[in-house]
Amino acid sequence: MELNIRVQELTRALHRVQGIVEKKTTKPVLASVLIKTRGQDRIAVSATDLEIALTGDYEAEVIKEGSITIGAKGLYDIVRSLPEAHASLKRTANNWVEIVCGKVKYRLVANSDEEFPKLPAFSDAAFFSVDAAVVRGMIDKTLYAVSTDETRYNLTGVYCEALARETGLRMVATDGHRLSVVERAMPEAPILKEGVIIPRKGLIELRRILDDAGEGARLAFVDNSAIFESSGLTLTMRLVDGRFPDYQQVIPTAFSRQIRLSRTTLTQALKRTSLLAPDKGQGVRFDLAENMLSLTTNNPDLGEAREDIDVAYEGEPLRIGFNVRYVMDALSVITEENAVIELTDELSPGVFYGAGAEGYRAVVMPMRI
Amino acid sequence: MASMWPRIIVHADMDAFYAAVEQRDDPSLRGRPVVVGHPGPRSVVSTASYEARRFGVGSAMPMAEARRRCPEAIVVIPRFEQYEEVSRRIMEVFRSFSPDVEPLSLDEAFIDMTGAERLFGEPEAMARRIKQGVREATDLAVSVGVSATKYVAKVASDLGKPDGLLVVPPDSVLAFLDPLPIARLWGVGRKAAPRLERLGLRTIRDVREADRVWLERTFGHLGTHIHALAKGEDPRPVVSSRTRQSVGHEDTLARDIRGPDAAKPWLLGAADRVAERLRAGKFLASGVRVKLKTASFRLMTRQRRLDVPTDSADPLYKAALGILPEFDWSEPLRLVGLTAFDLVGASDPLQGQLFGQDARRKQADLDKTVDALRARFGRDVIRRGTDGRGHDRDGHDRDASDRKESDRKESDRDESDRHESDPS
Repeated sequence: MELNIRVQELTRALHRVQGIVEKKTTKPVLASVLIKTRGQDRIAVSATDLEIALTGDYEAEVIKEGSITIGAKGLYDIVRSLPEAHASLKRTANNWVEIVCGKVKYRLVANSDEEFPKLPAFSDAAFFSVDAAVVRGMIDKTLYAVSTDETRYNLTGVYCEALARETGLRMVATDGHRLSVVERAMPEAPILKEGVIIPRKGLIELRRILDDAGEGARLAFVDNSAIFESSGLTLTMRLVDGRFPDYQQVIPTAFSRQIRLSRTTLTQALKRTSLLAPDKGQGVRFDLAENMLSLTTNNPDLGEAREDIDVAYEGEPLRIGFNVRYVMDALSVITEENAVIELTDELSPGVFYGAGAEGYRAVVMPMRI
Repeated sequence: MASMWPRIIVHADMDAFYAAVEQRDDPSLRGRPVVVGHPGPRSVVSTASYEARRFGVGSAMPMAEARRRCPEAIVVIPRFEQYEEVSRRIMEVFRSFSPDVEPLSLDEAFIDMTGAERLFGEPEAMARRIKQGVREATDLAVSVGVSATKYVAKVASDLGKPDGLLVVPPDSVLAFLDPLPIARLWGVGRKAAPRLERLGLRTIRDVREADRVWLERTFGHLGTHIHALAKGEDPRPVVSSRTRQSVGHEDTLARDIRGPDAAKPWLLGAADRVAERLRAGKFLASGVRVKLKTASFRLMTRQRRLDVPTDSADPLYKAALGILPEFDWSEPLRLVGLTAFDLVGASDPLQGQLFGQDARRKQADLDKTVDALRARFGRDVIRRGTDGRGHDRDGHDRDASDRKESDRKESDRDESDRHESDPS
């Protein structure tokens, strides 16, 4: 294989696969990137950890067809420090790779191509088009609530299902303490018979490439995989093989107390009071009175903090505790300036959302403090 | 002068507790060698009276060995309910001196008396009043050690036994510790002691004067730990029972067992008892630890966090099952135990759960019913339909007498004080 390529183009390609390649692996090939020529003017750059695979299509001047498999991190570090705008890559005997850029020349040890895992390919994938910005927004609103506890396997991803009443998609994430649900209309009906769980790592990668995705983004679900395509990129993710809990039943349908307040004011107040939240549990106490919400934290080793904020509330007083981080996470993905909190009693989950914003609800289970 | 004391920490430890209670309740046992424990061939001595100790009988010694050393010993089957009752009265006495009481077991506690000089006088006067209080409430003797750290206070109460009272003021700590053998250092057990001795460290002074960096390099964590102790440094606070750290149950088996399947019934039984005690103490546990001891006395422990804190036997048992593959099962086992740790008390912060509330509520109702029945009619009024292997409790695969002969040990000490095995 031999090719000439713009350094910027190759840097972009290698940057994209950095999150996918395994950093601590016993199989060096899983830390590798596969570069393969496609015709005379393109190359495919792929990486996989066996759960997720990403292939990108990039411009290059192909002199001689072929491929190389080489450590992704090392190559990325070299390429992004190259001095000139163009470089040449050449595979020589015994899996050596030669990179020449201006006056710099590298000779690198590469792997044999045969070791690179077979990339998933689906000929029968039924794609439906999606708006990249909408999907990105949905991921932002759910990813934070995904469980990182590997023993709760079925919660380690975002649950996706087609909406029943309209053309659109619903995403749900929970770690058992809080839950986030977002629904969005889609230009085209999702081809998705039943709900699936997309793994956290896959969503993080999808979120990354959505930033670059332009028109023509599309999604498909085949067997136990999800495939996303856009702007010459194909991301394949193996789905979480588990049963998502019955989330509908834990989203409150009624409430007895509704508070309207400035999201920024509450976030700032929580930031200040959280400095004295106890290490264990991170509890903040909400004391709700007419048009007034008091936040209190008490760290036995440090001291206490209290902040009163003005809110719009008419109703019975209530004292309820929350993990301050859960509330801040929920608020952080609300884009509207005015937020609504719905509460019932100190044992029932609180619901957080942006005023006037349909289609997003953050449910947070209170804590006893 | 008490004002020189940064903290005043009392360690109070009942003398030969179980045996002393038996001798108090049965005058015919007084002045005679009494050994509390089950008479079975594999059981171990829970407590030996001082009369029996003169024959070399000690706690945790196999019963057979105890009988060999002291054939005239009177073996008394433990009455845990009675010991618990007496223990409650002892702890009440301690709490009348300070709210900061950390029970280590039924018969032993730390009491933080810092700032109580005006009420009770100098440390020695405090100790005398505590001894007197216990004597008046229970007619039993307690040994008391007083110093500025938990470690030194405990060593002092040990050395004073029986009926001891030993005060080690801060400026006498080094003189007090220096001549003691290294086995007096917490964390130095049967495994670590010979290693230290081979390197010429025989007394606490040797450890204190050894180079800290070298100790650390040679013994890792243990090195840092014992160097600090040897200098009398032990910043650990007295943690009152509100923040108790673990509840455990272990069985020393009448016959060695092999393999995970044989251990399961014991784990289930232990989970049941631990859960019962968690409920009694209004605790939820966030972690489970399984402890196995091989026939050659090799101790193995593995632990796991629970995703939802619990006081029910089932989740504890299931978590224990999840840990079993991590053990080395090649050797036969003589002891199986289960400990619940990371306890959440009734007034501690507790994160609510979105899922499974109904199922947990039902389980809680069931547990409550079982607890009430057992409180009225005894433990055996209700038993599980399965012993964890899919057989009936009294099925052919197991000898039901295993249970009766086995020795039980309730352990609810703070794990940090159990350094018997070499932490490295």
